[in-house]
Amino acid sequence: MDTPGSWLIGAASRLVPRARRDSWRREWEAETAYAWTSLRRSGRTSRFATLRLWARILTCTIDALWERKETMKMTGFLNDVRYALRGLLRYPAFTTVAVITLALGIGATTAVFTLVDGVLIRPLPFPRPDRLLAIEHQGRDGQDQLPISSGLYVTYREQAASLEAIAMYQATVVNLVGEGEPERIPAEAVTPSFFQVLGVQPVLGRTFTEEEGAPDGEQVVVLSDGLWRRNFGADPSVVGRTLDMNGVSRKVVGVMPPDFGHPNRDAQVWLPLVVDQAQVSYGGFGAGGIARLSSGSSLEGAATELQGLVDRLSEFAPADEAAFLKQVNLKAVVHPLKEAVVGDVGRTLWILLGTVGFVLLIACANVANLLLVRAEGRQRELALRVAVGAGRAHVLRAFMGESLLLAAAGGALGVAVAALAVRVSLGLVPTDIPRIAEVGVDLRVLGFSALVSLGCAVFFGFFPLVRYGTGNLANQLREGGSRGGTTGRERHRLRNTLVVVQVAIALVLLVGSGLMFRSFVALRAVDPGFRPVGVLTARLSVPTAEIPGAAETADFFLLLRERLAAQQGVEAAGLVGRVPLSGGVSFMTIEVEDQPRAEGELPVFAFQASAGPGYFETMGIPLLEGRTFRREDGAAGTHAVVVGKAFAQHWWPDQSAVGRRLRSFFPDEDWWEIVGVVGDVHLQSLEDQPGEMVYFPPTFGAAANPFVNRTLDVVVRTSGDPLQFVAVLRREVRDLNPRIPLANPRTMQDVFEGATARTSFTMALLGSASGIALILGLVGIYGVISYLVSQRTREIGVRMALGASAPSVRAMVVRQGLTLAGAGVAVGLVAAGLLSSLMSTLLYGISATDPVTYGAVALALVAVATLASWLPARRAAGVDPSRALRAE
Amino acid sequence: MGKLFSLTYPTAAVLLAIRHGHRYGFDVMDATGLPDGTVYPILRRLERRGVLTGAWEDEAKARAEQRPPRRYYRITRVGEEALTEVVGRFPALVRVFAAEPGTA
Repeated sequence: MDTPGSWLIGAASRLVPRARRDSWRREWEAETAYAWTSLRRSGRTSRFATLRLWARILTCTIDALWERKETMKMTGFLNDVRYALRGLLRYPAFTTVAVITLALGIGATTAVFTLVDGVLIRPLPFPRPDRLLAIEHQGRDGQDQLPISSGLYVTYREQAASLEAIAMYQATVVNLVGEGEPERIPAEAVTPSFFQVLGVQPVLGRTFTEEEGAPDGEQVVVLSDGLWRRNFGADPSVVGRTLDMNGVSRKVVGVMPPDFGHPNRDAQVWLPLVVDQAQVSYGGFGAGGIARLSSGSSLEGAATELQGLVDRLSEFAPADEAAFLKQVNLKAVVHPLKEAVVGDVGRTLWILLGTVGFVLLIACANVANLLLVRAEGRQRELALRVAVGAGRAHVLRAFMGESLLLAAAGGALGVAVAALAVRVSLGLVPTDIPRIAEVGVDLRVLGFSALVSLGCAVFFGFFPLVRYGTGNLANQLREGGSRGGTTGRERHRLRNTLVVVQVAIALVLLVGSGLMFRSFVALRAVDPGFRPVGVLTARLSVPTAEIPGAAETADFFLLLRERLAAQQGVEAAGLVGRVPLSGGVSFMTIEVEDQPRAEGELPVFAFQASAGPGYFETMGIPLLEGRTFRREDGAAGTHAVVVGKAFAQHWWPDQSAVGRRLRSFFPDEDWWEIVGVVGDVHLQSLEDQPGEMVYFPPTFGAAANPFVNRTLDVVVRTSGDPLQFVAVLRREVRDLNPRIPLANPRTMQDVFEGATARTSFTMALLGSASGIALILGLVGIYGVISYLVSQRTREIGVRMALGASAPSVRAMVVRQGLTLAGAGVAVGLVAAGLLSSLMSTLLYGISATDPVTYGAVALALVAVATLASWLPARRAAGVDPSRALRAE
Repeated sequence: MGKLFSLTYPTAAVLLAIRHGHRYGFDVMDATGLPDGTVYPILRRLERRGVLTGAWEDEAKARAEQRPPRRYYRITRVGEEALTEVVGRFPALVRVFAAEPGTA
């Protein structure tokens, strides 16, 4: 139609929502056409009249804008949210179930993410953390994992150009004697370079100078923020004061910022680790090594350079030590520091995150199913919206508004759940998880859960949209929204798929937790080699300043043991360097007198421990042959050792080990005679096989080597509750010397439980995750089957009217539930099999494809599915045919 | 009856104009003398609220005049109730339109 102004109307019509555009345009065009015709007919074609008409036509833009504004108002986002909120509040049961489901899913995911983020993702809290390295060593092709020795430290420090700085650290404990009770505090001996490597400045004073790290340097100490606040009320004048530590006066030179520490934040004070350039040891691997890369060098470059130095060690080290390290085929191992700190816990945490991710998926599938039901009820209303001009975007928003609102509520509640879960679980998390002190809910975590919530909303908002998208809605309206008496199969395909997926995921999780549970049971069934029940242990450390002499120190321990053994209710008391399963083992090279080592043969290592009289009896470690230690063993001139069964069998299979002699690698050492053989003990962990073990008396070495164990664990077997005995233990120690504190009193039962902590922690988490998955899966099956039944009431009525019996109707409904469950179980079994390799390193004593676990879980799920469909089946069988047929 | 729309003077004028046979948008503008830009939004709103209903005029008639069919507005039953309120509230306005020959 070519009337003047029609181009303007055409342009303005673009503003009008598409559904009304055509009619709007025709109306305006007709009006203008009519107006021009009347104008011409009336003959009043004055300029004024023409202008006036043009002005009128121009107002079509106002009308178009108004149309646009009205549509916008109707489909405005806030309006959608308000509408969605009203809709949700109208169905409080639905909303509550959906929000709680989501809160559980999002909360669990957020809680585990908090852990993963704090431990694995976040960079170490040091400047340029990517430049930090951990330096370790391997001997005998990986059989020995060694840290660093002072000799290698000095060599690397002087020779390695790829390292800007290198440092050693060694965890220790000091007795801090203040006004009140002496306090035993965790400390760390570090080379002065430690703080430069990590790049952290003190908040007060300074760190150590090079001189303080050399022999005869001043006795100084750097305090942690925690100790400074707790013991000195954050008094800045503490710098320059002297403290009594281990009987030595140390001057405070600085205070570190809060949360500083490596490899953990346990250390309360730092002492200089004294390295005597003239007397370094190359073979004594006793300290951790860290370094910072110099600019321009890479991790690989540093690894190559250090290995080159190790290969040329004879140029730097004394001949015998270089030869020894060559014999063990020493290799330098360089890792990014974060990797070294995090260690093997990463896999466990990622699996946990995956697990809760699965739970979230199930939760979302449930909510999606609920929303599908809701959407079915909303079809007519949405179809009407489309009819009055709501576009595709509007329908999308109508669905998404509700989803977003649910997700937002679930997310907010989920964060609260997560914060609570993190707080509770930090107490349960095994303490051997590194960086645990850095874990907390913060902005990153909140961002994560917001993202997860959004993802959920998109996920479950998407399903109704697919099912009832705008295209389908148009058909819906045409059909008049009549509910068919029979239900098309494709109508439920989406919901069925969701249920199958839910069951499959639940099966995967249940298999995971089933395997973890069986590992846990297997681990608990491991005989640790001792009887932990009824044994109390505590750690004692005698400072040189308190009791300088080796013999007097030995006397202190022996006297204490005798006094303890004489107490009422004490069955036995003993001393040991470190109780089993409490972390830290030491080993030594061994030479056996009657089997000299051939030339070129690798040296043989054995675990060593110092065990005093009464130790084996107290711990219930069986004596197999000979005798255990007596009071006089370990005194000057005596050379008695006790070995474990594995050691005896390794060297003298089928023969008696008693009377044989052994010594450490160095040829000038004395020979030690084996006086007894005892049962094997799990020293490091329950998972590892017990090693070959040699026990020395705690104070060994005669005048030639006055080495004395100054730190020992006491073990006491009591007839009553061992913890009741702590007070007596304290009293006895105080009576002997009030300045020697008692540390970490606990039962051996606790120590034993600690060794299974990571497995039980993983099991508990996987168990609760799969429990939630099972319940949600159950709800999913129940929901779908009941919905099907309610949709098919009429059909069932017809069937029953035609003579179908109640049992046959029940069977039909249950069969439907079981078909879904069966499909889910089949898919889940395949998925679990595929994922099993991920689990295998976490398991103990059970195969990752253990058929018993798989079978049991599959059966359990089928049983649960039967139960879930039984309830709706019973309702279906109770349908009254006449009423069902009338109802439509 | 609940209030369907805010009964302003312009709205009342538009309703009365239609009542008196000015059924097309441009005609309503002429009859009421309201600013051109305000009439259509009033028509749209009243149509949405069910006071008015729109329809297309007979195509044959339009073709005879060699122009496209126009859209006209009719007062619904709901609109009739609204009109009684108009009469009550704007008697002067009613008299203005009453001076014209009523065609509705």
